[in-house]
This record gives sequence, structure tokens and C-alpha cells, in this order.
Amino acid sequence: MLRTRLLAAISFTAFSFPFAQAAEQVTFLRDVAPILNKVGCTSGPCHGAAKGKNGFKLSLRGYDPEFDYQALLYDLSGRRFNRSDPGRSLMLAKPTQEVAHGGGLRIEPGSKYYQTVFNWIAQGVPFGDPAKDKVERIEMQPPAVEMAKPGLEQQVRVVAHYLDGAVRDVTKEAVIASNIPDTADVSADAVVKGARIGEATMLVRYEGKFGTVPVTVLNPKPGFVWKALPQNNYIDQLIDAKLQRLRIQPAAAADDATFLRRVSEDLTGQLPTAEEARAFLADGTPSRLKRSRMIDTLLARKSYVDHFTLKWGDLLQNSRKYLGDKAAWEFREWIRESIASNKPYDQFVREMLTARGSTNENPATNYFRVTRDAKPTMEKTTQVFLGVRMVCTQCHDHPFERWTQNQYYEMTSFFSTVGLRPGFESGEEIVYDKRDDYDVRHPKDDRVMRPKFLVAATTVSLAPMALPDGADRRKAFAEWITSKENPFFAKSMANRMWSYFLGKGIIDPVDDIRASNPPANEALLDALTKDFKDHNYDLKHLIRTIVNSRIYQAGIETNEWNESDNTNFSHAVPRRLNAEQLMDALTQATGVRPAFPEVPADTKAEEFPDPHVGKDGFLDLFGRPQRESACECERKTDLSLPQALNLVNGRTISDAIADPAGRIAKVLIAGADDRALLQELYLATLSRTPTPTELDRGITYLRGGESRAARAQDLLWALVNSKAFLYNR
Amino acid sequence: MSLMIDCLPGAKWLGIFSDRIASTAMRVFLWTSLCLISWSARAAADGSPGYFRDVRPVLQRQCQGCHQPNSLSSGLDLTTFEGFAKGGKRGPAFRAGSPAESLVVKYMRGEMQPLMPLGGTAVPKDQIEAISAWIAAGAKNDTPKEATDTISAANPPSYSQPPVISALAFSPDGQTLAVSGYREVLLHKADGSGLISRLVGLSERLNSVTYSSDGKLLVTAGGTPARFGEIQIWDTATGKLKRSVTLTGDTVFGGSVSPDGKMIAAGATDNSVRLIETSTGKELQKIGNHENWVLSTVFGVDGKRVVSVSKDRAAKLSDTASGGFLENVNLLRGELQAIARHPSKDIVVIGGEERIPYMYVMDRPKVMKIADDTTLVRKFPRQDGVIAALAWSGDGKKIAVAGLSPQVNIYDADTGKPVASCTGHKAGIYAVAFNPAGDRVATGGFDGHVRIYNSASGELLKDFVPVPLLVSRND
Repeated sequence: MLRTRLLAAISFTAFSFPFAQAAEQVTFLRDVAPILNKVGCTSGPCHGAAKGKNGFKLSLRGYDPEFDYQALLYDLSGRRFNRSDPGRSLMLAKPTQEVAHGGGLRIEPGSKYYQTVFNWIAQGVPFGDPAKDKVERIEMQPPAVEMAKPGLEQQVRVVAHYLDGAVRDVTKEAVIASNIPDTADVSADAVVKGARIGEATMLVRYEGKFGTVPVTVLNPKPGFVWKALPQNNYIDQLIDAKLQRLRIQPAAAADDATFLRRVSEDLTGQLPTAEEARAFLADGTPSRLKRSRMIDTLLARKSYVDHFTLKWGDLLQNSRKYLGDKAAWEFREWIRESIASNKPYDQFVREMLTARGSTNENPATNYFRVTRDAKPTMEKTTQVFLGVRMVCTQCHDHPFERWTQNQYYEMTSFFSTVGLRPGFESGEEIVYDKRDDYDVRHPKDDRVMRPKFLVAATTVSLAPMALPDGADRRKAFAEWITSKENPFFAKSMANRMWSYFLGKGIIDPVDDIRASNPPANEALLDALTKDFKDHNYDLKHLIRTIVNSRIYQAGIETNEWNESDNTNFSHAVPRRLNAEQLMDALTQATGVRPAFPEVPADTKAEEFPDPHVGKDGFLDLFGRPQRESACECERKTDLSLPQALNLVNGRTISDAIADPAGRIAKVLIAGADDRALLQELYLATLSRTPTPTELDRGITYLRGGESRAARAQDLLWALVNSKAFLYNR
Repeated sequence: MSLMIDCLPGAKWLGIFSDRIASTAMRVFLWTSLCLISWSARAAADGSPGYFRDVRPVLQRQCQGCHQPNSLSSGLDLTTFEGFAKGGKRGPAFRAGSPAESLVVKYMRGEMQPLMPLGGTAVPKDQIEAISAWIAAGAKNDTPKEATDTISAANPPSYSQPPVISALAFSPDGQTLAVSGYREVLLHKADGSGLISRLVGLSERLNSVTYSSDGKLLVTAGGTPARFGEIQIWDTATGKLKRSVTLTGDTVFGGSVSPDGKMIAAGATDNSVRLIETSTGKELQKIGNHENWVLSTVFGVDGKRVVSVSKDRAAKLSDTASGGFLENVNLLRGELQAIARHPSKDIVVIGGEERIPYMYVMDRPKVMKIADDTTLVRKFPRQDGVIAALAWSGDGKKIAVAGLSPQVNIYDADTGKPVASCTGHKAGIYAVAFNPAGDRVATGGFDGHVRIYNSASGELLKDFVPVPLLVSRND
């Protein structure tokens, strides 16, 4: 009797479930979770949504397999699987659309994925061993793709290496996407297709591991002959090397006048005066030496300090909104002194991160008053000094990086001991270290998160990564972040500094460094980073190296080989003067400085302590940041219609041009003839002398009617409205 | 073709139960779900397109995501032939003999907008042609009338692995322990010393098992996930199913029997609480006060009120006579899954996502203020996992808390002090029950074992797998 029963049962099983054959051991970690990600269960619009879908929630893109396993198994008393009859499991019936499923058909009945899930349930839904079944790394084959011309295809393979040493081809399950599909796109099964000349990066993601495959599509046009240009330093060598490989001919260095205007704006935020321009152009010293000397002259100026104080004021969000009047000025003064003395960058950062005491006595403490709470302070610190954005990991693991939610809270706990309390004077606060009640807890399970560095740095005296109890958390953090072993600190600054002079970072955006946002020229960024570290975080050295390069000094004119290149710095790109530069340039051109009641007369826009000076006026219209965030992106340098209308019709310009104490009036009173007047106007606005044609036309216009003064004003108005004036080119 | 053998001959099983199964739709449902594999094998035999073989799979794959009982887009339900024939807001989905005038064809071809499936890939031409041909030939429902199921009272389920245990109950006389299985309730001797009998039914999952207070009835609430819900009423004396009430398109949860035995309450995935008359199976009330799935219910002492807990975080008190909403019993915190009532007082303990059991008085003050929490009697310690089950001992003295934590904690109901911890489970515990004397507590869950503990000491007295296994397992 028993035997008959057994037989019946076995045959029933065999007939109904032809997939229940002897199968290899299936685990959730290694086999099932990747399927859920691949077929889209864990995607944002489906069960990966913050609130799940139809009562079933999985982690976004499967970043938390433990959570997903629990949701699948334990929700509502294990409703989703059926160990007694695996084929009847909701987990199979839903995605195969055997029962109504809002997400539609996701898994074909009988397919490989179906079998895997079936076997997993039949084997008792094992989770797997995280020490064995987790992916250690993924490998891409080939590691880089180079195509001789557009239109070619290349299959890429993704291979997963597991912690137990196993290796598996996961090309089908891995997610692969192109960062620039217009240049090279990739199909779901990882076939890369080159669409046009240029470079793109394929971003590969599999089970929380990330990889990239750089793809280069070369220009097949015949006739390319590399014309070597002089190389001023390693920057030129490294960029030329890549350009030559890509068959891109870079632009030659711009002329002296263009260089002078560009480097003056970039280093000091100011136009050269007409006299400076005249003298520089007349100087017979060999150009390269002459330029190098000018760079040193500019770096020694007070306006250099002002210009970089403004940049740091933005990044550190110096504003009376957060700090009050007195502290905003004092924090600015602290930044100014740091830049004036060329304080090593690591020291500058360390002083802020470890600052304690009265905000009146130690202005660096204001760093903590802007963000106040540990979480925003951590987010700001990592974004500004490491170029790493942690903000998404507050709620879930980073979707495109290896950062985890745990790390968010571990990093936050370095700042959770920072306390703020009112001082004795009005507006004063004391930054102190809390002795208790500073634990950071994980939002999911409330456990206390110990401070732990984002990445290990072996020479830090506090290695391993987790701190002992009672250690000074901020001191340890400051030591870690400024360590030369920190893979982000120097790199992030080198990259940011590069963007100030070339218009965009080697990694761009500059404060979003991650595997899926690869550098345009890795060798260059590495070399800059190493140089910066080798010179002990000397910011002036870094700047000097960049602006002395031929690449920085290149012209904006393109040739047939580099006209489509926008990523490899093969030619200069015009950049609109930012708000403060523009206002100061107008002052320089017209000879009249607008007055603001909050600051002493004759204060340059570049010297303003915060965006409350001249609020809602010209500066804000031209994109001055309100310092609401530590993102470089808050400053806008596009050109909009309201801006154009303001330039054409606005009073800032028309009043300054017509001012009785302005440049036109002075030149006229000095009795300059037409030629001298025109030369003065061109030098004061475009930092160059007029061409013979410009001179002829200018003279004709000046003599064409009654009021010479009004006609001179018209000419100045036309010059400041020209692109050559509005842009740094 | 051998696959067909399982499904075609003999309608024994359906025959046995057919008088209790509410609708034809239900029968089709059962048949289709039981014979998933066989239809594809059947396809090779016959040439001309048929509903069951050719049309139904297309609808199932391409259309049922939206046109299903839960969403009813355009008022159309394509999960049954009847729904397909009836059509939706725009009328019948097909007109027999006239494919060109049939809505289903026109929408799939794009002759009517929007093209169906909405936003999805178009239905392949050959499939549309098959549907057209079927309509042209008269649109016959050729769904086979007969179905078979190897599982019946005479041939109860066999198990290669222990099933997840989702419900447990001791009989009021303390002699029997009822345990949920797959498609059945297993009646064991109360001390776990042996299997007495098996009550085999239709529902794959039994989310709750409850005895009436006189012990004459055993009531289950469950169903088959995403297919149907069912309340089974068993006569404990004969072991016969007195009545099966099928309701909703998904399982029902947390069934409870009124103190006088006349009413049964259960929660549903359509956010309602259903009140059923025990003697007739008639639905007395469909109470729609919740905003999410209702996962458990309990009647008040006099049976005039019922409290239901839901994923919408509320424990709602409703009037059983009118179905009217009376009050929220609790302050809304996390999603709720479990509720238990004091044996003789209108006091309940609730728990769920937040992991903290709260004890509330069911009666609320006349004048309520927002965030008024004065009826909270006691807050118990936070558990290590989401709470899935609660039990209150018959003497009113102990409360057992079970859930995703691998242990069941027992507390003194009067003081909130921990009494004992019952360990031994490997994973989630979904069912917990006291025996009538209150000195034993039985638990069950993910690992498929029933464990019986001394409720005062937490000592494990018995650990057994409640189902007969085909192959003995070491764990």
C-alpha cells in the first residue's frame, strides 16, 4: 500500500513538473537574485519602488538581497512560494502571467530562468553563503574596445568571479548601458555598436559590482598627419598622446592678447587694464617666457586671492543666512588668509574639519554652522573634498557605485559628535565635542553605526578602518581624508582645479567621481594628482602647472580633425564670464563701479562676502549662486534671454557708459583723437588693439554725426555687448 | 501527449465538491490552474483554432495584467471566458461569426484606438489571425468540462518537504491540535504524539485555523494566492466539510468566529472585512473601512463588534450589525498583521511591522482628540522581527508573540514582564496558539516544524513535522 502511494506521488510529480530534474544546487544569492534584477522585478517603477508595488516590495535594483529574500519568503507567512508544489508558487505564477500580474509576462514558462526559480523552490529556497555565493568582482572581455570606424560591432562578455573562486559568464544577466549612446550604443545582450567618431564608456552592473568598458570609434577619414606642436609640460604630452591615437589634431596656442585676457580672468577674475595689455603686447620677450612671468605676476596679486576666496566662499556656502553678518565676514577673512599664504590644501581642510571653540575666535568652526547636522555635514564634506556623492545612500545603496547605505551612516558618525551651542556674544556659537548622546543609528534596524572610513588607507595610524571607542572621530577623519593614500582627496582637487581653467573637469561633473563616470584622460588626471601630492598640496603649483600648458593656452579655433571633439581638450572653449567677473569687467571697461550700501565704495564684485550684497540684481541675474548647496553646479554660466535683454537695455550698462566720471568722459576730456580713443576702448574691453578694418569703421562712425561723445558711448556699448567681451575665449 | 492523462479522465474530484463550489468561473479557474502543462501538449492534436488552446493563452499573456478582477480596466475581466464574452464598458469583446466587428480584433489590429495591449508590444499577427478564425467559426467555449486533481480526501497530499505552517489551533476540549498543511488541515493529538486525521480541501494556503467556542466547528480562512479566497467550515465530529464559501480573487486572512458561533469574519485583499453567516454561508456584511489588505480579525466579547487589523496600519472597530465604522482602536504606527483578544474582556493586543505589541482597550472615550492614546494599556518590548502572530492564553494571563524573529516570547499580560522565550526555530514563525489550560504553547512557521513548549518555562516539549514526508529528512 505504502509503495503504491509513493509511486503515485512520484509519478504525479514527474508528470506535472518536467523541470524538477536533478539540478545543480541553486541559491538565492548566486542564481535567483540576478534573475529578479534582470527581468525587472526590482526596478524602480515595479517592486523596487520605495513603497513596492501591490503590497510586494523589493530593494531597488536588488541592492539588498537579504531584504529581498525575506520579502519573498516571509511576507504574509510565506505566501509567495509553495514548497509542497513548487510549480504552483505565486513567485512563478505571477511573472509567467499564469495569474493576473500587473507587471505582465516577465518569465517564459519553461525557460531557463523559470527552471532556476523552480529548482530553487524545490530545493527548499536556500539563501546561499555570503562568503561563497557573492560576486567578488566582474571582468569585462575585452577590457576596452577600439573600432576603426563607425558602424562596427563588438560583442562584450561579462564574467563574474565569486568569492569561492567560481567563475561564470553573466553577460545575459548583467546590465550594460552606454554613457553616450549617440557615439556608441550597446544592446541588452552586450553587443557594442559604434555610431559615430568619438569615445563612450559602457557601464556594466551585476549584483552590486560595477565595471566599465571604454569604447573608441576612430575617424576613418584618410589623410590624417599628426602635426606635433610644442609641449610645455606633461599635460601637453599626455593629452597629445591621446589625441594622436584618436587622430585628432589639437589647436595651436592662442595669440598673446587672447592669452592675457584669458589668464587674467581665470587667475584674478579681472580684465587686464588697457595699460597692462599695451605693455604685455609690446614686450619683446619670447612668448612662452613672457607668459610664464605674467602667470607669476597674476598669482602674486591681491585679486588672485579675491578670486579664489570667492570660489571657496561658494563651496563652503559662506553666507550671513547661515552665519550672521559678523561670522560671514570673518569666515571670508579666514579663507582669504589661507589663500593669501598659499596654505597647503590638506592643512586648510584639516583646520576646518577639526575646528572647535568659539566661532568668533576660530572662524574655521563656521564650517559646521552651515550644515549643522551630522548627515548634511558628511554629505557636504564628501562632495566638496572627495568629489563623492553619498546623498542617495541615505535611503538605499548607491545605484551606480559601490557605496552602501551602511557606509552612509558609518561616515556620518564621524560628525555626530559635533555639538553647537550659543556663545556669550550675540551671534556667537561654540563648536564642541559631545560626550554622550551622539550615536548614529541605522534607519532599518536601529543599530548603532560605528565610524568607519569609506575606503581603507593603510598609513593612517588608525587603520584598520573602524575607530576604537573614545577616539577623536574628527581628528581621525581629518587624518584619513587628507592622507596621501586617500584615493579621492588630491584627485578631486586636481580635477576641480582643472575645470576652473578648461571649462569642464577631466571627470565631469567634478563632484561626482564614480566608476560609472570615467575620466576623459585617466593618465592626465593621475599625473596631476601625483604632482599635486608630490608638491604637498601646493595649490599655486597646481594652478601654475595647468595654466603654463599649451593645452590651456590653445586657441578656440578648430580644424577638420578636432571640430567634433568636446571631451579631449583639443581646443579651447569660450566660457561666459561669471556674474562677478562680468560686473567687474564692465567696471573696468566703463571706468565706473556700481555702489552697494553693504560694502565700502570701490569693493569689487569678486570681493563680496556673500550673495546678500546686491541681492536680486545684476549679479543674481547672471547666475551668482545663493550658496544653498556645496555643488559647483549652483553657479550658472549660461546665457539667457533676460540676461541678453539686460545687457541691451539694462541700466547697469547704459548708466555706466554715460557716467560723467566714466572712461568715455575721461578720454574725451584728455583730448584723445579718434584713433587713440578707439585703441583705448578696444584695449579696455577686449584687451587687444583694433584691427585696421575695425579702426576704419570706428573712425567713420565717430565722425558720422554731431555728438562725438554719444557716438563714442555707442561704440563702447557695442563692444561690451559683443561675445568677445562677454566670453572668456 | 502523456501529460494529458493527468487532467482528462474522471471528474471525481470536482464532482465531490461541485455542489459547494460557487461559480462556473471558479471551476474554469481550477481546471486551468491544475492543468497548466497539459494544454500545450494538447495543441498538436487539432488544427482549427480553439478558445482554450489558442485564444485564452493570448489573453492570459497580453491582456490580463490590466483586464483582471482587481483592476478591471474598462470594466473588462479577461481571466474567464464569461468575462471575455460579457465584455466591458464598450460592449462584448467579440461577436461570434464576425471577427471584423469584434472589439478584441479591432483593438489588437489598431483599427480602434488605443492599440491594445496599451503601451506594450503589438500582438503577433498569427495570434490575431487565430483569434479571428476562432470568432469566425462561432467563438465556441471549448474549455474542457472535466478536470482532475489527484488530491482528495482519499488521496491526500504527499510531501517531499515540510510545508510552511501558517496556522495552528487547539480544540476547546484540549484534545486536538489543528495544523495547516498544503490543501489540508492536519489534526494531531494535542501533545504531538500522533496524527488523528486530515481534512483535505481546495485552498492551497490556510492563513488561519479557528475552532468555534463549542468546538463543533473548525473554520479556516485561506485560498490560493492570486486566484481565489475560501472560508471552509468543517464539522469536527464527522470530519466533513459543511460548507465552502469562495470569495475574492485572492486568499482571505485572519478568520475569526463570533463567541456565539453564528458569524465568521475574515480580512481580504480588496481591503474589506467579510462577515459570513455560519449556518448558510451568506455574506452578511462587506465592511470597507480599511485602505489596504486586512490581515486579521477578532470579535468583541458580545459579538456585536469586530476589530480588524490591516496593512493600512489601523486596527478598526466596526459594528457587526450594520458594518458601520466605530473607531480606530490604535494610533497609526506600522503596518499591522496580528491581533488577539483577552478571553473575557474587550481588550486586544496588536502587532506587525513596528515589532512592538500594543495592548489596547477596544472602547474609546466619547470625545476623541487627535493623537489621543489614553486607551493604550501597555506597550510590550520590541521584538527582533516583524510580528506575524499573537495569542492570548485562555486564562487571560499570558500573551505569546511570534514573527520573523526566530523565537516566540511569552509575556505576563497583567504586568508586561517577560515570562519565557521559546527557541528552536530557524526562521519566521507565523502561527502560535495556547492550549485551553494555558500551560502549553504551540508554534509553527517557515521551517515546517510544530514545536510545543511549556509556556511558563519555555522548555521545548515536542518538535515534529506535522505532515507525512515521502523521504525522511535529517533536519
